[in-house]
Amino acid sequence: MATEEISETKASLLVTLREKLALRPMWEKLTWTWKPETKREAGDAIVRNFILHWFPAKVSLESLSWGYSFWLGTISAVLFLILTITGGILMFLYVPSVERAYLSVKDLEFSTSYGWFLRGLHRISAHLMVAVVFLHMVRVFLTGAFKNGRKAVGQNRPLNWIVGVVLLLITLLLSFTGYLLPWDQLAYWAITVGTNIASSAPLFGEPTRFILLGGTTIEQATLIRFYVLHCFILPLATFALVSYHMWRVRKDGGLACTEKRYEEAKKEEQPAIASKTYSLLGITGGSSVDVQNVMIDDEKDKVPSSPYLTVRLAVVTLATLFASIFLTLLVRAPLEEAANPAVTPNPAKAPWYFLWLQELVTITTFTVGGITINGALIGGIILPGVLVAAAVLWPYFDKSPVSSIGKWLPKERKWQNRIFLIIVAAILILTFIGTYMRGPFWEIYMPWQEWEQTPRRF
Amino acid sequence: MFSKDAIKLYVIGISLLALTAFVFFRENTTDWRDYQAEFRDLVTEKFGPERAEQIPSGVQQIWVKDLDRVDRCVTCHQAMEWKGLETAPNPYRTHPKEILEKHPLTAYACTSCHGGQGFSTTLPDAHGNVEHWEEPVLGQEVSEAYLIKNSKALMEMNCNACHRYDRETKGMDYINTAKNLVEQKDCRACHTINGRGGIIGPDLTYEGEKPTEQFDYGRLTGRHAVFAWQVAHFQNPKMVSPDSIMPNFGLSSQDAQALALLVMSWRKEPIPANYISGVQLRDVPTAEEIAKEKEMLEGDGAFFVQNKCFVCHSVSSLGVNSAAKIGPDLSDAVVDVQNRFGRTLDDFLMDPTGTMSVVLATQIPLTTEQRHQAIALLKVAYQRKLEQQIKNASPSPTPAGK
Repeated sequence: MATEEISETKASLLVTLREKLALRPMWEKLTWTWKPETKREAGDAIVRNFILHWFPAKVSLESLSWGYSFWLGTISAVLFLILTITGGILMFLYVPSVERAYLSVKDLEFSTSYGWFLRGLHRISAHLMVAVVFLHMVRVFLTGAFKNGRKAVGQNRPLNWIVGVVLLLITLLLSFTGYLLPWDQLAYWAITVGTNIASSAPLFGEPTRFILLGGTTIEQATLIRFYVLHCFILPLATFALVSYHMWRVRKDGGLACTEKRYEEAKKEEQPAIASKTYSLLGITGGSSVDVQNVMIDDEKDKVPSSPYLTVRLAVVTLATLFASIFLTLLVRAPLEEAANPAVTPNPAKAPWYFLWLQELVTITTFTVGGITINGALIGGIILPGVLVAAAVLWPYFDKSPVSSIGKWLPKERKWQNRIFLIIVAAILILTFIGTYMRGPFWEIYMPWQEWEQTPRRF
Repeated sequence: MFSKDAIKLYVIGISLLALTAFVFFRENTTDWRDYQAEFRDLVTEKFGPERAEQIPSGVQQIWVKDLDRVDRCVTCHQAMEWKGLETAPNPYRTHPKEILEKHPLTAYACTSCHGGQGFSTTLPDAHGNVEHWEEPVLGQEVSEAYLIKNSKALMEMNCNACHRYDRETKGMDYINTAKNLVEQKDCRACHTINGRGGIIGPDLTYEGEKPTEQFDYGRLTGRHAVFAWQVAHFQNPKMVSPDSIMPNFGLSSQDAQALALLVMSWRKEPIPANYISGVQLRDVPTAEEIAKEKEMLEGDGAFFVQNKCFVCHSVSSLGVNSAAKIGPDLSDAVVDVQNRFGRTLDDFLMDPTGTMSVVLATQIPLTTEQRHQAIALLKVAYQRKLEQQIKNASPSPTPAGK
């Protein structure tokens, strides 16, 4: 072992990169500039690189598998990166004033070089990010990945789950604030519906809406508030929390699926031995502090992060970019008439990810004996509030055994997962109804049913 | 595992490259490039390659800040002001010259009159018969849909945005007919239009602003459009809205169309006042001010009013009163000039100093003859003043004291 390491170090010292390159065939030089030749080199590559240093030098095979995590967290981060870059360029081209906002978006669509592409990519990536972050949460729940496993120092997965819930809410807010910026009818009325739901909360509802809008109507004050939130405060918060989220994953001992190996190791190994005692009384009473050792081979089934993790990361990054661009070319970003407070479109819909809330508001609004139940309060505030609170508190009440951590749909967590899946299905169904089945006057229309003609001037 | 992933990486990388190439291709193969190339060919053929080289390429636009319009129509319609392409096919035809003389492109752009979506650089979007754009190009396509014989008639609706206060405008036959009908049928008996009229029917001053959703299309056959509703309503009000008490005037379909265009032109367009025909941009004096000036013009001091001396000076003894009173009253100029300048009035007026030298040199260039006239009149004024003083100072009927 020792001699092998020394020879490895020697080899890496002696053979410089240039020499190695010179020895490699031409096609390899053109396609792959550098390949670590020893484990030490591979580890160094991770540690020395600023961007890669938050990865471990070695990573387990199950963490890398496609089927366990679907890489949804990574995809969210890549989408955030695409959004940051396209958004940064769009900031040079968009004017956040009620007089110019709509015109500057029209300019993007029609006369700015690649403006249609930038705007389309930004929009699609934003929608994808909402969807992917949600799916990421679903994955983490179904695999029980918010639970602490082996008693490792500083492990606190429930905290990271809460950070994740906050990140989901921030993602929704980011998308929601961006929704207003084109200043067309779609934007204006979606924000009207969204903020009206918020205002139905008792006591703090109206003040919240007032602060958010900078007044009682959606005007210039609202636009600039949403713009600053969208371009500065929320992205900054996202960046900070995502960094913390990633750091916590390592602090918590990697992905939850790695917990299995500790469980397995425990079973395989002989019962833990009390190896040391620290007190005299303990020696006499035989009840002192034990340092228990579970011996597991940490290196078993582990591969160097470079190139195994980095290549997969590159694949995921490029695939995400590919999918976003492909969808951008497929779907044209809508831009309706300029915002007009005097004309309410029929139907007026919130952004699609809030349509399940709008549906809930509809369902919970009913009249019993002359008294109308305010759906906006029950469906728009209380129910989603309860859902978020339940999500935050769930890890602390989930008493499923440690052996269920990091596995898809384990028997031990059957009931938790059933309840969760029912809620997810309800949200998806309501979103579908709101998006595809609500027509004029909020009547139900089958997706294949035609709405009545939209009136025009000519 | 690694080599499999590497293959995936190459496949996705190459696909991404192809996709990027497609984005580049789409950006650089827009229709307007084809139109510009074709126009260049046409010019080369007709006028030679030298003139073709002068044609600008890339997105072209006319920006009229006053009207807040950016019209990129000229990206494809490049021949607007070219001579010799009057009969070329569109979009390469020269714009009719007469109308451009009064309405230059740089001041009006295109969509102010024609309609359409000026920002756009693709044909369907630019011509505006698309979803979410309510101002299509008012030309052949829309005219044919409504069976309007004259394809330029619809455009008169846009002309009337500026010409709304004209009684009659040259070349706007439909709108002129409609304006005549408004007088003939006395629409103002029931409706207020531009602040004048009755209150039985709704105020029509901004009828063109009424949103499309606020019309009831339930009894309308055919397309649900404001124009169709207006035409049907003018032809038979009760058919479209049964509760209406508006009489059926038995209008012909062309008259109904004309009236529909007129009421739809009544919008709150943000048009600067200098664009609106018939609006006088000056301060109009009040009737009182006019009467006073007229009175002064007929009095003895008419000379000082005609020559605008009264802008600064009163000549109170001759009945001339200055509103501003910037200079001294000229009633006692004969002595006042002597006091102020140490010169006689005759001498001073012939060769003035100070403010008067500037005024008489630039604003009121009096001839020598006129100056003599002024001197003579001012002497009369002084005489008059003295007389008035004596009159006022004469012993009053009440005894001054004992």
